[in-house]
Amino acid sequence: MTDRSLIVGPFNRVEGDLEIRLDVRDGAVAAAYTNSPLFRGFEMMLLGKDPRDALTITPRICGICSISQSAAAALALADASGAVMPAQGMLIAAILHAVENLADHVTHFNLFYMPDFARPVYSAEPWHDQAVARFTAMEGSAARDAVTARAELLHIVGLLGGKWPHTLAIQPAGVTKTPTTSDKVRIQTALRSFRRHLETTLFGAPVETFAALSRKDDLLNWTTGDAGLFIRIAQAVGLDDMGYGPGRFMSFGAYPLPDRRAFKAGVWNGTLSPVDTTQITEDLSHAWMLGDTAHPRDSTTEPDEDMRDTAYSWCKAPRLNGQTVETGALARQIIDANPLARDLAAHPSAFARVAGRLIEIARTQMLLEDLAAQIDPKDRFMGHWDMPASGTGEGLVEAARGALGHWVNFDGGKITGYQIIAPTTWNFSPRDQEGNAGPVEAALVGAPVRDGEETPIAVQHIVRSFDPCMVCTVH
Amino acid sequence: MSQIETFYEVMRKQGITRRSFMKYCSLTASALGLGPSFVPQIAHAMETKPRTPVIWVNGLECTCCSESFIRGAHPLAKDVVLSMISLDYSETLMAAAGHHAEAALEETIEKYKGNYILAVEGNPPLNEDGMFCIVGGKPFVEQLKHAAQHAKAVISWGACASYGCVQAAKPNPTQATPVHKVITDKPIIKVPGCPPIAEVMTGVITYMLTFDRLPELDRQGRPAMFYGQRIHDKCYRRPHFDAGQFVEHWDDDNARKGFCLYKMGCKGPTTYNACSTVRWNEGVSFPIQSGHGCIGCSEDGFWDQGSFYNRVTDLTQFGIEANADKIGMTAAGVVGAGVAAHAAVSALKAAQRKTQDKKEEA
Repeated sequence: MTDRSLIVGPFNRVEGDLEIRLDVRDGAVAAAYTNSPLFRGFEMMLLGKDPRDALTITPRICGICSISQSAAAALALADASGAVMPAQGMLIAAILHAVENLADHVTHFNLFYMPDFARPVYSAEPWHDQAVARFTAMEGSAARDAVTARAELLHIVGLLGGKWPHTLAIQPAGVTKTPTTSDKVRIQTALRSFRRHLETTLFGAPVETFAALSRKDDLLNWTTGDAGLFIRIAQAVGLDDMGYGPGRFMSFGAYPLPDRRAFKAGVWNGTLSPVDTTQITEDLSHAWMLGDTAHPRDSTTEPDEDMRDTAYSWCKAPRLNGQTVETGALARQIIDANPLARDLAAHPSAFARVAGRLIEIARTQMLLEDLAAQIDPKDRFMGHWDMPASGTGEGLVEAARGALGHWVNFDGGKITGYQIIAPTTWNFSPRDQEGNAGPVEAALVGAPVRDGEETPIAVQHIVRSFDPCMVCTVH
Repeated sequence: MSQIETFYEVMRKQGITRRSFMKYCSLTASALGLGPSFVPQIAHAMETKPRTPVIWVNGLECTCCSESFIRGAHPLAKDVVLSMISLDYSETLMAAAGHHAEAALEETIEKYKGNYILAVEGNPPLNEDGMFCIVGGKPFVEQLKHAAQHAKAVISWGACASYGCVQAAKPNPTQATPVHKVITDKPIIKVPGCPPIAEVMTGVITYMLTFDRLPELDRQGRPAMFYGQRIHDKCYRRPHFDAGQFVEHWDDDNARKGFCLYKMGCKGPTTYNACSTVRWNEGVSFPIQSGHGCIGCSEDGFWDQGSFYNRVTDLTQFGIEANADKIGMTAAGVVGAGVAAHAAVSALKAAQRKTQDKKEEA
């Protein structure tokens, strides 16, 4: 077995472009370097614009998580202006956002993750035929089911937000839509129909039964639905033995409600502590960006057009207290103290990440039903707010893929600074000045590379377990 | 080319029933404004003509176009689309990865030389030799030119490919450039919007497959059947506009009553698109129906026209019907003309002239 270097990419079935350079030694990955080869410069374009325009421009960073971006922008402007959403406004914003995240998880499982198990490399496996029938890219029956179910689920966003993607309804002081009683009924009907989809295809059992699993052993014994097929395959291919994250998880907390965030905020590294966002920095040592390591409120975006040799990605390297953290559904569920997720936390593998998403699918469905039942069409959905001429604000939300932060400064009615750290920026960050690899880079070390493999299948499983969204990463 | 199956065969393979197929044909006919007599013609074409291969490439973009396509679409339309791009080449959805993906692209180009439609989502950044968007180790602009060389026609999906979109906003750091500025020797059809409406996307592509030609385009290269009217012309809030009833603040009573959003920055009066008729997410709603103004995302330069929330303050309300009709005629084409007197003519006219001048340059 000789040492060699591989470039893996473009990755298909990934939002945006991604390239990973692998040093391979003795049949395993010895080092990995993630490159986000797409740069658009949103943070530069926002400069000089009316701060409110961030509500329209930032969602266009990403057509998959546009509501997350709009919610983060709205919270950043609310923080800067003192705007407060009425309770029902928060409720509608939470529903819009949770629907998008739920749809995203289901997409990831059916269209982005499972199709890899239908590849010919697994053709000798006893489960392969089933995987092919269900998950072959673009053709498997699961894709059809999921795409139809998602489209119906997204009627909710249509009803409340006018359109998806690039929904506009969320504003700093509430939502522009006043739902009617008939809207409420339609939303609840759409949720019932989505529940049916989850219970007949994904879980093959009541959502509550899956959500109630509390131990990893129980999960490993789950046999019904596509989730059961996944667990069978995961055990066969050793998905739990690959792709370990740093074991440090961060969540900004999902879905602000009047008294709490529906999924709590925090940092987990064996014990739970609060997130101190003042300890976030963006390191530029290995990014084609000019400037010093700084907190996002103070940092700038200035691409290094010489693309210096010591750097290898357009992605900055965000760190919390100088360390990498993993973010995503698994992190959210661990931090929200879901017992099964906590049981998985000790072994933060590719398997744990996909399982974390399954847990969250079940819990988000239940959350949405609860929120929808609380809609009161007679109440207020928008408060009064005026943009001050100058201000500074921080907007923290949880996108499907994890923690998303917007930091805005404006003066004289114009944006003077806007920085965005997306979930995939955290997970797919390049090395920092200490030489510490980003979470995915570290997770890939040790991944087996079979003889002659140009796009190692283990690498695919690990990378996709993070559900990369590369357009958000660099923006 | 005889080995290429027909569209109908592909659909049947996907498990679509004959009945659903006929329903699709009639839906498409009505979406295209063609009337029932065209249904058999569409059905016949789809049954007998070899499927037109589609190559779908992604440049600088956010994938919202693909998402609109696969997610929001009418179930039938979605099936058509999935079967259509199933698959020659689509980076977001296909099975192959890495070198296999590139090989698949080459193979598809070779196999269908001169016969395929190139669908472009996003656009090429030209700054620094295109290095801001690298696909398979090469600048996207090269992939685009290469794939376009043997294409029968090019579809520019969305505002990015058509006009540049927000990533071309000042200072346009990457010099994001619309497709027609890079590909100059092929017929290009622009389907703007951020994203375009799913039904519009499928309508356009079905028309091209059915009649084997580009649909009638307006002078900007947009299919006239979907971009012939302004949002304003068919907006359900239009009576409030005509009556001078406007939302003045997000939280006022007028907002709850669903009054006109013009003063909240709505660009419906200067935006040509089918949102107020076709609507979104399988026809459930559109932005104005959610209480937020139109941002004009299917218009060239919508991202750099001042704030999206700029209130129009110099609104002239009454006594200008002559001008109003004139505007209606030039702007709205078929249906809008002569329907109603516009208020706010001076402001609209100015805005319109501005965008139209811009378009002529483009």
